[in-house]
Amino acid sequence: MIIFAFANQKGGVGKTTTAVTLADGLARLNHRTLLVDLDPQGHLALSFGLEKSPGLYRWVCLGESIDAVKVEIRPNLHLVPGDKQTEKVKRQITLADFRETILSDLIHETDYDVVLLDLAPSLDVLHLNGLIASDWVVIPTRPDALAVDGVKEILTTMAEIARSGHRYRGYSILPTFFDRTTRETFLQFQDLAKTFGEHVWPPIPQDTRVRETAAYGKTLWEYAPHSTSIEGYSDGHQRLGGYRQVLGRMLEVINGRA
Amino acid sequence: MAERKFERKTILDPAVADLLIGMEQRQTEAQMPRKERERISRERAKIQSRRDQRATYDLPPFIRESIRDLAEDLRLPASQLVTLALARFLSDYTNGVIELGKYKQPSRSPRYDWNLVFPESMYPKKKKS
Repeated sequence: MIIFAFANQKGGVGKTTTAVTLADGLARLNHRTLLVDLDPQGHLALSFGLEKSPGLYRWVCLGESIDAVKVEIRPNLHLVPGDKQTEKVKRQITLADFRETILSDLIHETDYDVVLLDLAPSLDVLHLNGLIASDWVVIPTRPDALAVDGVKEILTTMAEIARSGHRYRGYSILPTFFDRTTRETFLQFQDLAKTFGEHVWPPIPQDTRVRETAAYGKTLWEYAPHSTSIEGYSDGHQRLGGYRQVLGRMLEVINGRA
Repeated sequence: MAERKFERKTILDPAVADLLIGMEQRQTEAQMPRKERERISRERAKIQSRRDQRATYDLPPFIRESIRDLAEDLRLPASQLVTLALARFLSDYTNGVIELGKYKQPSRSPRYDWNLVFPESMYPKKKKS
């Protein structure tokens, strides 16, 4: 099993869309995949056209089994949904012993190939649980100064967690809402590449189809499989960026080649 | 002796590197005067429109040289001569005028079933030294 966390303390950077798209992409490649919504907004369920429900609360606080709380949303793809009851999970975890590893322990009792955690844009005990549970952290970021600052904040938190003994396999920075024609995008992208080097994954182009997809409760692979956000930019004979290429990078991590 | 300069290189994801190069070029162009930008834009469009017309084949050197010499004599683009020659060949092949069977030999390549082996007479005679 490998656990990915999608985290950025800045909101609106594409964490949920990225988690949904990559989880469905992995499931389509026959990886048994579990998505866990750690955000009280409960948007993962909405992204799949489902109602919000307190799956995480029942799993963590009421001690129900994963089989009882998971929702099968696609072949090979299960979801532990969340809603505002997720706030209660935070309170319960705060009062518990060994609170940092509660989520990690629960996840390791399951038998999925890949687990994706969609973290809330905050720095609370559930956020820390998600980071501690993960092997690899994907940090989606808009190419603007405030979101890039969020990247640094996450990396600082990860460094503190690593000092307490947790070992990450790695992390990646994923530029989202990418518009290659603007100077600001270029400057921020250049800055990210210079600072973080190979940790920067190919970016996800800005694409209206992404917003439409969420409104229809479909994933991008279902609604717009040939969109720019999936296929990336055309550059002669090759494609650059897009979720298909990022999925390839993720498979390299899963197969131990990254 | 001149002092060697050591430059630290950042390792990048290949797609990120390619994208950055393209964006850098566009940013450089954006600083140029309008006429220069338009010229580069026209050249880029020309290159892109020609992309579908380009092909690379291995040819015997004597064919390449013969086409080049003929194109120079006739003061024509070599590409147009080759286009005419290939169009004529395809027409003859379709109409059964050209039969490939007599040139075919089994290939040991896993990629192809056959090779075309041409008769000596097709090649120019070597000059005696």
